[in-house]
Amino acid sequence: MKMKFYCLVLICSSNVCGVYSQSTKKKSDDFVNATVAVAKHQGTFALAYVHRWRFGVHKKFGVGLGGRFTSYIGANQHYETAPAQLTSGGTGPSVIFKETITANIDTFLVKSPQVNSLNVSINIDYRLSKKITAGFNIDAIGFSFGGSRNGNYINGPSGKMTDAKPTAFNILLISDNDRGSLNSEFYANYSLNEKWGLKAGAQFLFTEYTTATEVQQFPSANNRFRNKSLLFCAGVSYQL
Amino acid sequence: MKLIPTKTVFLGFIIGTLACCKPENATPTASATTSGFDMTKASLIKKGDFVEVSHGPTTGTAHVYDQAGTKYVVLDPFVSPSGPDLKVYFSKDKNASDYIRLGKLLSTRGKQEYIVPGSPIVGDYHYVHIWCEAFSVEFSHAEIK
Repeated sequence: MKMKFYCLVLICSSNVCGVYSQSTKKKSDDFVNATVAVAKHQGTFALAYVHRWRFGVHKKFGVGLGGRFTSYIGANQHYETAPAQLTSGGTGPSVIFKETITANIDTFLVKSPQVNSLNVSINIDYRLSKKITAGFNIDAIGFSFGGSRNGNYINGPSGKMTDAKPTAFNILLISDNDRGSLNSEFYANYSLNEKWGLKAGAQFLFTEYTTATEVQQFPSANNRFRNKSLLFCAGVSYQL
Repeated sequence: MKLIPTKTVFLGFIIGTLACCKPENATPTASATTSGFDMTKASLIKKGDFVEVSHGPTTGTAHVYDQAGTKYVVLDPFVSPSGPDLKVYFSKDKNASDYIRLGKLLSTRGKQEYIVPGSPIVGDYHYVHIWCEAFSVEFSHAEIK
């Protein structure tokens, strides 16, 4: 009886392994994940869906396209002047090499920021072993929504209290040319079985508020302020 | 060699730890005055009493003086609850929608003076606020008339 039971377990587990290795050789697959991220006085919850195409002889390299909903909440966060024209003195790809012009950076302090964004996201990963995959994902384009918040615009010896809303349109360009709220992650995913996995990594998030009036006037009028957050993230993934 | 008793080491550690725990942003409690202001040479423009907004009672009076063209905000007398990152704002309205930062609150009690930077039209400014900047909380304000 005992012998039969062991045989049954052996057959079942070999079948599972068979299916598992078969799934890792697929040309494409779909997965979803739920992630929470935390840092000092701020946190996020994100839900993502990704359709992934696998490349290479062993299908280890994956490129995916999907959608991600991110909800950000924080307390007493400093948002800084966002437009590349002010932060770097120009626009275009070259801003990535330019020093930040600190004299042009003003602060918008938001007591309780809350920004929700829904973006098309890009996912790139590499399967290091049967169980472990390392990857990177980034939001590319989408929109944000959330309630109006009162904030404190601080410009040296003067300031204004003003209302602001999350910048509605999000787009990934280069460096400070970016606009709106965009999420990105470096992560490692550990497969528990064929379907479920655990992920952990670092999340880098841009959130952006647009003030009701152009509170910044020097060197040119501006109403966009950005917060850059680095958070620790962890979550679960599920293969569809 | 005589070893230092464990009790002494422990006591020293506790005292050292407590000394290090003093908050960096805590507002001093002693009276604070600047050298530039001389009340005998200054003329009072307007004044008003503080009222509590949050975090406990604030009492005292805010005065605006002109001394040879330089404007000063003088809090005298003044008692405020302590808090992190307290600043003094000089604003046009009750909501501080347009304000001048006079600087860090020098003390939670006693007479203190602040120079108003720039050359604003002080007639347009009607409020002095005690504002916890880091946490966006107003402690108190005085309507000055």
